[in-house]
Amino acid sequence: MSLDQSILTADERAELELTALASHPLEEQYANLEQQHETAVLGMWVFLATEVLFFGVLFLGLAAYHIKYPEAFEAGSQKLNWVIGGINTVVLLVSSLTMVLAVHFARLGENRRTCWCLALTAALGCVFLCLKGLEYYLDYRENLIPGWRFDDSEWVQEGLHADQVPHVKLFLLFYWIMTGLHGLHVTIGIGVVVWILVLAAKGRFTPTRYTAVDVTALYWHFVDLVWIVLLPMLYLQGTHTL
Amino acid sequence: MAERMIATRTYVIVCIVLIVLTVLTVGVSFLPLVGIWHTVIGLLIAACKGSLVLLFFMHVIHSPRLTWIVIGVTSFWVVILFVLTLNDYLSRGMIPFTPGH
Repeated sequence: MSLDQSILTADERAELELTALASHPLEEQYANLEQQHETAVLGMWVFLATEVLFFGVLFLGLAAYHIKYPEAFEAGSQKLNWVIGGINTVVLLVSSLTMVLAVHFARLGENRRTCWCLALTAALGCVFLCLKGLEYYLDYRENLIPGWRFDDSEWVQEGLHADQVPHVKLFLLFYWIMTGLHGLHVTIGIGVVVWILVLAAKGRFTPTRYTAVDVTALYWHFVDLVWIVLLPMLYLQGTHTL
Repeated sequence: MAERMIATRTYVIVCIVLIVLTVLTVGVSFLPLVGIWHTVIGLLIAACKGSLVLLFFMHVIHSPRLTWIVIGVTSFWVVILFVLTLNDYLSRGMIPFTPGH
């Protein structure tokens, strides 16, 4: 790997390497740093596999009932706020870009840029949560919370049969549980990114030791992936009108 | 480490393509399509976006074969989860109820 782009001098890099070795020594079961790094990354991939199945059952439930009650699910989908949903998608995609750039700069040993990219990622994660909060508030105002604020007669006036209203509630429950669990994942992600940012600011990462940045990035991108599927499945069903 | 680097420019281009696909998928929801076509097209675009995130942002394109195996196995389990469950849900009522059997 070329380090020509690095802004650090050779001495600075050697010093950083010593700091890193002092705080994270090579564990004895590994042959070298590269094997240690790849093992950690593989561990994250296996964890993400369990996460896929965790979200998978929710998507499966949503799909099964969507097939069973298409009219009610489409009616529910059209009431959701696709504008905030769409903007939040772009926010998460840009945060994935800043996260991957953090890994990129960590590999090059450009610690300052790594810190900036991590800070931006955490900030964009917070923007996502704020917009999500605003969206939940608007849902509250529009009576979209079954069991708390929900009015059956509004849906009958929209042209749904009274028997179909419980199916709309079912769709909205999927919406609340899936976006809620996704929001929880974003919150955990922000916490981990801030933690990694503190470590980066202390100079713990070098071009040969950036495993924590790499592994955190994989988790962050996974959370982005879940949202990419949630957007069409929840917000974009049926033909929308402006 | 022996991993190959992806240029920052590539990351930015991938991100722009992802945003364009997001605008496209929202745009498609306004087309007067019937039946399941909104779901099908929405999921197809989501699959394209997901592949870009996996390959470039998650560096799968330069990952060891073991990572590809983990992704393959995960996909296989998801297919089992969906196919076997929907096989039950979608086929209910296809065979008439026969009392005594």
